[in-house]
Amino acid sequence: MVKFSAGPVPYVYVCTRMRVRKSKLIPREDYLRLLNMSIPEITRFIEETQYKKEIDELASSFHGIDLLELALSWNLAKEYQSIQDITPGVLKRFTQSYLRKWDIQNVLTIFRGKAQGMKTGKIREILVPGGELDKVFLDRLLKEDSLEKIVEALKGQSIYPVIAAGITTAIEEESFAKIENALYRQFYENLLSEATSGFKGGKQFLEYILLDIDMINIRNMFRLRADKLPEDASTIVIPGGRFSIQDFQDLISIEDEKSFIDALKSKVTLKPLLVLLDAMSGERSLREIEIDLIKVQLAQMESFSKMKPFSIHPILTYLEKKKYEIFNLRAIARGKEVHLPTDRIRGYLVI
Amino acid sequence: MVGEELVGLTPEMIEASQAGMKAIGAAIAVGSTGLASAAAEMAIGSAAVGATAENKDVFGLVLLLTVIPETIVIFGLVVALLLIF
Repeated sequence: MVKFSAGPVPYVYVCTRMRVRKSKLIPREDYLRLLNMSIPEITRFIEETQYKKEIDELASSFHGIDLLELALSWNLAKEYQSIQDITPGVLKRFTQSYLRKWDIQNVLTIFRGKAQGMKTGKIREILVPGGELDKVFLDRLLKEDSLEKIVEALKGQSIYPVIAAGITTAIEEESFAKIENALYRQFYENLLSEATSGFKGGKQFLEYILLDIDMINIRNMFRLRADKLPEDASTIVIPGGRFSIQDFQDLISIEDEKSFIDALKSKVTLKPLLVLLDAMSGERSLREIEIDLIKVQLAQMESFSKMKPFSIHPILTYLEKKKYEIFNLRAIARGKEVHLPTDRIRGYLVI
Repeated sequence: MVGEELVGLTPEMIEASQAGMKAIGAAIAVGSTGLASAAAEMAIGSAAVGATAENKDVFGLVLLLTVIPETIVIFGLVVALLLIF
């Protein structure tokens, strides 16, 4: 039987859809307007955008910040599922691998929530079932009453071995940071092996993964320096990117801020990042630096997706931008809830 | 050489051969431009369907964009008609 290849058609189709969806994201001016609104006004505003269905569905059971939080989580999860449905072949495989990041986040949220004795409903509000573990599975995890039982329920999942190995220490130390680091290291290791396993389009996926790893490592360097805690770099650094464990350790052990920035500049080649590092002065807070790093990463992803318009890049760029739209809306809503000044909330937005 | 090959051909045969060549030329003109249009429309069409799936309002516009490469095959058709008539 003759096998026909659809050629670039499925790529063009899905990448165009992603571009259209990206154009529908909330623009900067609207964020500035949202900053001056109350929570009911924000809810009404986003009801007029792509969140209408979720707000309408949930409005009878929830109100205020709960309604907003849940609608945003539902919308993000729905978006992730819908993208997995429309992406073809190898792009679907890459997208699913990328979305497994949410499995780690969801499971850790459940662990942390349970450890702190939070109500099940409250934990459910912030879960985003976008990865391999779906809503039903996460609900099953939420119903378990002890952390050990949650770990048992995870048996058979790719994240189980890492969690099973670290859970006893995590419960003793009352901190899941080590498990989190180990899970992310395993996640990126899997992504790297998938991108380099010879699938068509793997090269573009690898570009994104390396960028992501570098940006996470740089962010962690700034965090560790800000905390001034002596940490073992080998448990924190994500290998595979530009920074080896030794580089990472050397960089975080530089005490002087200027020397650290200079040393970091000598290691990176990404132009927007160099511009950002050039403009950095000692007065910047960690939060501002983190937001700037995210902006650099998004700008670079945008440029990748323009250079390779029919690849995994437009999909990943949209997914990341959508994620930050949800983060921004949450930041505004939570900031309004606790009556933070507008300028302060604005500082948390990635716009 | 050419003269030697033509020896034994009647004027009717030569005329028929010329008509055949014209027909082949016309076929190449229409066929190749048709394939070129198809290749161009393939990408535009799939992008058009993608855009329409997200926003139905653009249907009219993308339909227009999809048929723009048709001009290539029309040029081919014109050349073919000029060759034949």
